[in-house]
Amino acid sequence: MYDAKTQPLASLRNIHKAYGNLKVLSGIDLDMSPGERVVVIGPSGGGKSTLLRIMMGLEQITEGSIEFEGQPYITALNGKTRIDANVRKKMGMVFQHYTLFPHLSILNNLMLAAVKTRGMARAEARDKAMQLLARLGLEDKAGAYPSHLSGGQKQRVAIARALMLDPQLMLFDEVTSALDPELVAEVEQVMLELAEQRLPMMIVTHDMWFARNIASRVIFCAGGVVVEDGPPEQVLGDPLNPRTREFIQRVFHIHG
Amino acid sequence: MEYDLQFHYVKQAWPHLMEGLWVTLQLTFAANVIALTLGFGIALLVMSRHWFVRAPFALLIEFFRCTPVLVQVIWFFYCVPILFGVYLDPMPMGILALGLNLACFNAEAYRAAIQAVPREQMDAGVALGFSPVQRVVYIVFPHALRAALPVLITNGITLFQQSALVALVAIGDLMYMGKQVATETYRPIETFTTVALIYFAVSFPVARLAALVERRLDVARV
Repeated sequence: MYDAKTQPLASLRNIHKAYGNLKVLSGIDLDMSPGERVVVIGPSGGGKSTLLRIMMGLEQITEGSIEFEGQPYITALNGKTRIDANVRKKMGMVFQHYTLFPHLSILNNLMLAAVKTRGMARAEARDKAMQLLARLGLEDKAGAYPSHLSGGQKQRVAIARALMLDPQLMLFDEVTSALDPELVAEVEQVMLELAEQRLPMMIVTHDMWFARNIASRVIFCAGGVVVEDGPPEQVLGDPLNPRTREFIQRVFHIHG
Repeated sequence: MEYDLQFHYVKQAWPHLMEGLWVTLQLTFAANVIALTLGFGIALLVMSRHWFVRAPFALLIEFFRCTPVLVQVIWFFYCVPILFGVYLDPMPMGILALGLNLACFNAEAYRAAIQAVPREQMDAGVALGFSPVQRVVYIVFPHALRAALPVLITNGITLFQQSALVALVAIGDLMYMGKQVATETYRPIETFTTVALIYFAVSFPVARLAALVERRLDVARV
């Protein structure tokens, strides 16, 4: 049995990922405890999104293994990646480009996976979906189609769709990057509320101010390895590693 | 022109023509039902990762696309019973021939549409825990159907017109009835003009509908 007090929620060991000769991740080790909100930052091409996609089971790995809640989740053996589909169902993910199903209403976007992959009764799924939409201030959009929503609304629906399945870990992959600036806050607000409810999260973002607000831990990833790992005050405020320091200075535009 | 147009013969034969139209519509409808479903299956098979799955269906598509429908209908009618020992009534045989032909054309439309399904949609499907089959049913098929719909409708109307060829194998469709009426009344000009107009009267509104659907989908996309 999984014991949240003593065991890590997720435990990544020596994760390697390469596309042919191009190495994207070169040995990531990471233990995440259940209360944590890990923000992954770093230069583009540094492997942040790849790390999240691996956690979701969307990418093969060349080497390494991942345990989740003490159970084997992903292992690489002889170049083949084994992913336990039942463990995968404990992750939820929100993507940069919303990825709502355009042919379904908002309500059906929320209900489909709950009914078809979790065996929830339709009436129950409908109630839960309406509750979630109400919580996000979107109950009047239940019958609308994704093409009629703003980017911020779509992204909030995408979050609600993931929450329908009660994930044990939420993965947010640059979820505000495609949004117009004035729509970013409404999405970040929802994520902050989830943080208050102690939902474990892994977040990839370029928004350092948001990172500081939501993170309980920040990881600086560059060149396929974890360069620095610590509380947000350290990594974003006063990094120990010179590479982290250079990156932070560049993104905050503090030169000289 | 010295010819004296006499449409009252056609008027007398009108119930026969309508009987023929009814057969044509049944034929078209049944062939379309086969082709809309089977076509999607063939599209998936022809996109298989394994060449030995892909190859026979690619060949099937090319066979139906590169031979005249008239030859296909006649071949089915005369050769299938002998070669495969399958004896069907003319109507089911016509449906089968036209349905398979249309399925192959629809498969090409579906294939293009399936390739256009955004990758992110599939990622979302995995993230929500859908099995590979569920992803095809709930994500790929609705996407592909929407994208392919204008072509599928156009293919369907084309088949409605091509179905006239089954008159050759004695299926009592609109064309067959037209031929009979023309022979019995000695009024081919009036009869075949009327038959042409009936085909047009059915095809034209559906073609307009296809154009409308296409415009609607363009607006709804994004």
